[in-house]
Amino acid sequence: MRARTRTARRAVVLAAVASLGAGLLAGCADDGGDDKASDGSSSGGGKGKTTITLGLFGTFGFKEAGLYAEYEKLHPDIKIAENVTERNENYYPALVNHLTTNSGLQDIQAVEVGNIAEVVATQASKLEDLSKTAGVKKDDWLDWKWAQGTTKDNQTIALGTDVGPMAICYRKDLFQQAGLPTDRAAVAKLWTGDWNKFVSVGEQYKKKAPKGTTFMDSPGGLINAILSSEKEKFYDASGEVIYKKNPAVKAAFDLTAKAATEGLVGAQTQFQPAWDTTIANTKFAAMACPPWMLGYIKGKSKPDAAGKWDVAVAPKSGNWGGSFLSVPKSGKHVKEAAALAAWLTAPAQQAKLFSVQGSFPSAPGTYTEAAVTSAKNEMTGDAPIGTIFAEAAKSSPVQVIGPKDQIIQQGLTDNGVILVTKGKSAAEAWTTATKTIDNNLDK
Amino acid sequence: MRTAKPEDAVPTARKTRRPKSAQAGGHMHGGPIAYIILAVFTIVSLFPLVWTAIAASRDNQRLAQNPPPFVFGSNLFHNLDVAWNDANLGKAFVNTTIVAGTSAATIVFLSTIAGFAFAKLRFRGRGALMLIVIGTMMVPPQLSIIPLYMMVAKLEWTDQLQAVILPSLVSAFGVFFMRQYLIQALPDEIIEAARVDGASSWRVVWHVVFPAARPAMAVLGMLMFVQTWNDFLWPFLVLSQTGNPTVQVAVAGLGRGYTPDQSLIMAGALLGTLPLLAVFAIFGKQIVGGIMQGAVKG
Amino acid sequence: MATRHTTAAPPVKEGGAAPGRPPAAPTEAEQRRRNRLSRRWQRDMRWSPYAFVSPFFLLFLAFGLFPLIYTGWASLHQVEMTAPTDMTWVGMRNYTRIFDDDFFWNAARNTLTIGIISTVPQLLMAMGLAHILNYKLRASTFYRVAMLAPYATSIAAASLVFVLLFGRDYGMINWALHFVGIDAVDWQNDKWPSQIAVSSIVIWRWTGYNALIYLAAMQAIPQDLYESAALDGASRWRQFLHVTLPSLRPTILFTVVVSTIGASQVFGEPLLFDANKGASGGAEHQFQTLGLYLYEQGWVNQHLGRASAIAWTMFLILIVVGIVNYVISRRLRASS
Repeated sequence: MRARTRTARRAVVLAAVASLGAGLLAGCADDGGDDKASDGSSSGGGKGKTTITLGLFGTFGFKEAGLYAEYEKLHPDIKIAENVTERNENYYPALVNHLTTNSGLQDIQAVEVGNIAEVVATQASKLEDLSKTAGVKKDDWLDWKWAQGTTKDNQTIALGTDVGPMAICYRKDLFQQAGLPTDRAAVAKLWTGDWNKFVSVGEQYKKKAPKGTTFMDSPGGLINAILSSEKEKFYDASGEVIYKKNPAVKAAFDLTAKAATEGLVGAQTQFQPAWDTTIANTKFAAMACPPWMLGYIKGKSKPDAAGKWDVAVAPKSGNWGGSFLSVPKSGKHVKEAAALAAWLTAPAQQAKLFSVQGSFPSAPGTYTEAAVTSAKNEMTGDAPIGTIFAEAAKSSPVQVIGPKDQIIQQGLTDNGVILVTKGKSAAEAWTTATKTIDNNLDK
Repeated sequence: MRTAKPEDAVPTARKTRRPKSAQAGGHMHGGPIAYIILAVFTIVSLFPLVWTAIAASRDNQRLAQNPPPFVFGSNLFHNLDVAWNDANLGKAFVNTTIVAGTSAATIVFLSTIAGFAFAKLRFRGRGALMLIVIGTMMVPPQLSIIPLYMMVAKLEWTDQLQAVILPSLVSAFGVFFMRQYLIQALPDEIIEAARVDGASSWRVVWHVVFPAARPAMAVLGMLMFVQTWNDFLWPFLVLSQTGNPTVQVAVAGLGRGYTPDQSLIMAGALLGTLPLLAVFAIFGKQIVGGIMQGAVKG
Repeated sequence: MATRHTTAAPPVKEGGAAPGRPPAAPTEAEQRRRNRLSRRWQRDMRWSPYAFVSPFFLLFLAFGLFPLIYTGWASLHQVEMTAPTDMTWVGMRNYTRIFDDDFFWNAARNTLTIGIISTVPQLLMAMGLAHILNYKLRASTFYRVAMLAPYATSIAAASLVFVLLFGRDYGMINWALHFVGIDAVDWQNDKWPSQIAVSSIVIWRWTGYNALIYLAAMQAIPQDLYESAALDGASRWRQFLHVTLPSLRPTILFTVVVSTIGASQVFGEPLLFDANKGASGGAEHQFQTLGLYLYEQGWVNQHLGRASAIAWTMFLILIVVGIVNYVISRRLRASS
């Protein structure tokens, strides 16, 4: 008994000590690592490389486009590392938490357009004014994109990366089977200037629709497209929440609900795996589509879908998506980070990103460059997507955005129009949506 | 902070008159129906895991077909390779092992001595303190993350492993678990006998409590190791992929880009689970034996 | 193990905070020894219990109590995550508004129903499985390990797979159901199917584990109890009812108590089951649990004050449930 007890004791002690020790050592080792990194930078230009880290979500593709490698070549003392979170739903609350406590921040942090108003309104004091960084010229950006990253007292705390000018992607084969025109100019003419006409085209489509297909992919896609082309949607210019009394919002909701009631849209939520499969299996004929959506379609399609899509001008131009880069003041390498952010968002890099990733530049200067004008996409054959999207970008309204746009939009979509596809009336869906939104907005 | 998972083990109180030989019902051989039911449950238990691997061996397009794939495709190693390289998983595995190992060992140690005190020692305030322990289990964990983060930020611990380890050490469940086990597993006579020999309380702990508690310590250690290994929300908040990721944090970046690749995400999920599954497969017998021993005291 | 013993310990009191027994009365020899004890020994007796529990409580003070108090304080304020130190005093408003908060009560109902759907079948199946595993079987270790495997899977990984398996159009479950003539079920958007699907993730991960716990308990039941029941002419079913179940009662009560706490905090599974709808738990909040609602208010909508009040309300409800549970288990014990 004695021997066994002693062995047991020793084992337990060893285990406890070893693991505690390991933890502490690990902690120390990390400290050491951090210190080294900061020493390298503060000594300035010495032997150690400065590592700049980026905090990104989902959709950037800087690395895939080879931009980090290029920058590291231009600046041999800089190393770039990225932290990517797949979903902005996870990324953004963590970012806010990090900003408010000034800790855990990367040297560069990305911000999605749905959150930029809130960041500008509440976190500006934590972020560098990038307008003074060398190489940053206000005129390089679309005016509204620049304005979205700028505070009331003229601090530009976020530089625009891409924008999402919207067009309509449609399946030529399905349109043909339904007896609709397939030429992109003729298609665009069917609905020019009015989303109601767009829905009417859907009604026509439905009369001769190929079996098992709907006109559009989802109610969320439709209401989002309509709202994106409105100048004012959820907030007015003074910052007041007006989504319930804004007739444009109610009209968009009702039109989408009508389309849903008539079965013109699939009963899907965008970006769910189930929705992905409707792309792969050609279950709908048209969708609102910013340039980045072409990449999405490609990723989810079967190989034989290449070239069967085409792109037509949307009833009204609008913007869907796009992001910004910001530089937290508390970073260890603020200057270097600002320089990198400026470089990554400069027109030349934006153009490269477009050719590789399909992220559409927010720098209008590039819209006349060959990289944009001659851009083609595998999925859409010879469609001049560069020209169509550039036109959409220039004619998009300068939209008023608010801090809680994302919550309101999500409520209208995921707690609203989707219910109509489940057999609820438009009025019931509106009630559920507004009740949800009001509760979510109420502090 | 830790709180109990729904069905976490509780040590079971029972009669201790168990004769060494007999097992209730154990003399009966199982009939065909027993085997059929077991086969069904085995398949249901393993199928989602196998299917994770199948999905990881395919691509987006194949996952969108009816019927769903039942056999492996050709993409498994490609996807695993991409996931591994994309997600900085080598360092993540080391970190996660450190975090889960340290947390589990420390929780086991602290819970055993505290559980022993609550189970067997008399002291003022014991009832009240035990109530606090049980109350601690009822605190919803989601919200403490924000004040905790403010604290970790003050301590400048972000991106360091102790930011994950230290808060995870508050395991009320562990104390509760060990107390319930020791109440029945450790007869007072043995403690008294040790006392009679003049043993101090610490000696009693080393020589009597730890040996008696070993099965339950093993179970608690495994529970806590698995739980810490799979934790996401808190590590995601305090650690970064380029700094000191745990496996779950590292895997969270997979499927980025405009087209989240479902099969790649499944490959990441598989990679994050594989080490534990491997341990379960290799030491299955011991783990099962440990749970049974830790749950019951004969 | 070296310290195993065969002396009978009295039946243990089950239930949360059952007090331990007083130590056995000292013998005379012991008394003599005790008289020789130094003051140091007495100090040891007096203070070592505190030394043993203090590491836990120190950690709890640092990492448990501070968040609790902070949320308690925050719950009396209007405060947003974008500026957590910028608080506006609102008194009890965050609590009183809960009475009219349909979303809270919806979440409370869902927590209850998901808790029942996930816990009751799980424990019943675990019991049945344990009973089967208690037979003499070939390859018994294999079944036990296989059933424990889901436990090693993280909630995130499990939820990801189940979302695909429960897909409406291309999920394997609907595909299998159509062979038995059942039309495609919308597992994400219909109320009961979605609650069943979410619960099935919980059930899948935990049934095998609980089966092992019950099995261990069953194996500890003395064989002679069955033999005497058999002598009295009890059928196997009656033996199960009158011997097995009563013997397992402490184990069952504990799994129920701990399950209640766990089920009240179910959060990861519904969050990930429809991640595209954020934390709203489905279009009509049909599977939003309290844990998820709290997360949505605090983390997504960034209303720290409201979320804190929800957290504290949950906490208080649980304590009430815990007390009721305790009282019932005492009654049950007293009546038997």
